[in-house]
Amino acid sequence: MHNQSRSKYNSHLIKLIVALIVAGGLGYFARQVFMPASMGTYGHYRGDDIVDQLNVPIRLQTNESCFQCHRPIRQIHKEGIHNSVSCEICHGPFGDHIQDGKKVGVLPVKKGKEITQLCLRCHNKVIQARPRKSIKMIGLPEHLEQKGVRVDHTCDQCHMVHDPLLWINQAKRMMGIKEAI
Amino acid sequence: MIDIKKEIERDRRAFIKKVLGGSIAGSLLLVLPAGAVDIAEQIPGMREEKAVFTAKRFAFVVDITACIGCGSCCVADKAEYNVPDGHYRTWVERYIIDDHDNVFVDCPDGGLHGYIRAREGLPHPTRDTFFVPKLCNMCEKPSCVQVCPVGATYQTKDGFVLVDKTRCVGCSYCIQACPYSVRFISPATHTAEKCTWCYHRVRKGLLPACVEVCPVHARKFGDLNDKNSEVYKILHEPHVISVLKPDMGNKPALHYVGLRREVV
Ligand code: HEC
Ligand code: HEC
Ligand code: HEC
Ligand code: HEC
Repeated sequence: MHNQSRSKYNSHLIKLIVALIVAGGLGYFARQVFMPASMGTYGHYRGDDIVDQLNVPIRLQTNESCFQCHRPIRQIHKEGIHNSVSCEICHGPFGDHIQDGKKVGVLPVKKGKEITQLCLRCHNKVIQARPRKSIKMIGLPEHLEQKGVRVDHTCDQCHMVHDPLLWINQAKRMMGIKEAI
Repeated sequence: MIDIKKEIERDRRAFIKKVLGGSIAGSLLLVLPAGAVDIAEQIPGMREEKAVFTAKRFAFVVDITACIGCGSCCVADKAEYNVPDGHYRTWVERYIIDDHDNVFVDCPDGGLHGYIRAREGLPHPTRDTFFVPKLCNMCEKPSCVQVCPVGATYQTKDGFVLVDKTRCVGCSYCIQACPYSVRFISPATHTAEKCTWCYHRVRKGLLPACVEVCPVHARKFGDLNDKNSEVYKILHEPHVISVLKPDMGNKPALHYVGLRREVV
């Protein structure tokens, strides 16, 4: 009686061990198949993802990069008061017009009323939260009334977009004016 | 054809000028220099870093006392990553605090189109108003990494918290875990996405796109191991500096200059 029960016990144990080994083997196999090779190289993640992250394409360039091909404009822009304003905010990302050394598209160039809107994005006085130390602001239509022109004038009629004070300073020099016009 | 290539090698710039000037017709497609060419390194010493992880400790500083809320950073970010409409990797909030200490926050389209209108219909006169740009805080102890069940979100040894698109199963745990709400599920890939501090640009020595375009230099990025970097100087000199939600214990590497206590 006693003997019999022990042998039954043994066979259960053997079954259990075999089952565990099979499960372990399957688990190991599954791990080999489903886990990416570089998983765990540097930590609990796929090490190769670092390379994938590095290969995200750069679509925005720097202002300096425009210089190669748009020399005169960049020169004006660089020497003017707007040199901290990015070309690509006003025109869209570099990657939209040049890719792999080819001109692949057209960057938007704003005209007329759109230009006014663009300028007001940064220079609008109604938005009070703007720190005075960062930027000078104007209100519409006061600014235009003050200058004595019709209120449908767009900003680019007096301010050169790439250096807003260029023409104004030129005019001042020509007229010998020191004070604001 | 071969001649043209030789010509390019000889003097690229002069050649482009000639082409743009129209003296060499019809060869425009051949000559434009591929992608990024000789742009000066913007983060000192970055291009010598060849190892998988850099030996740098990066920090991001946002100067609230300079930000004009123009949304250039948001435009740049959307352009760099083709971020789907209605989702934002970085955004700019407008805070208005009135003289009864009520706080009003708005953020139309994440600031992508700038702030066009003043906020109207507030009950009391305004006491204080400012813009707060938000982006990934790159926590030293990121809760999003802790909760990710598949190891898709991870922290590199140099401190970047990144998302592996191929591993992410879109379970959104990380979105709930992030105290700063910088994550979203991209409708295109159905995986979690967030600001990476432009890892791909930084590793190539360029500044993050939003830092590059900021017209008032409100966003600053640099290496804290470099004692000459601007961020080092800001964080080691007297300034009003703070991080968002310090009580969460995530230890963000994103610092704000001039942060008001009302900001969450
Ligand atoms: C403040 C916004 C702004 C910035 C910054 C700016 N531009 Fe412009 N740009 C304009 C506008 C607006 C026009 C259209 C001018 C017009 O028609 O009067 C324009 C016109 C142009 C044109 C002429 C397009 C055409 O077909 O006539 C080129 C090229 C150009 N910009 C390149 C640049 C480059 C390169 C930079 C950077 C160095 C730059 N822009 C910076 C707003 C900007
Ligand atoms: C590799 C040379 C190259 C570089 C670098 C370059 N451009 Fe251009 N860009 C061109 C060419 C070529 C044209 C077409 C000129 C034409 O039609 O007269 C053009 C045209 C433009 C136009 C007019 C609209 C259009 O698409 O035809 C704008 C605006 C412009 N570029 C902006 C920029 C800005 C901003 C940068 C810097 C981020 C830049 N470009 C850098 C080659 C370049
Ligand atoms: C992306 C934001 C931005 C946009 C868009 C923008 N500006 Fe500016 N502008 C600035 C900043 C910033 C300065 C101050 C630069 C400085 O002081 O170093 C400035 C300076 C100026 C100044 C000189 C103010 C002074 O006397 O110091 C004028 C004028 C001006 N901008 C006009 C314009 C016009 C016109 C447009 C539209 C074509 C425009 N801006 C679009 C950001 C912008
Ligand atoms: C009739 C010509 C004219 C038009 C149109 C015009 N401006 Fe001006 N703007 C001027 C002159 C002149 C100044 C004075 C420059 C100075 O004082 O040094 C000026 C100054 C500025 C300044 C600096 C303000 C300051 O406090 O010094 C800003 C900003 C500005 N303009 C933005 C704009 C914007 C934005 C528009 C489009 C809505 C615009 N301007 C349209 C002529 C014009």
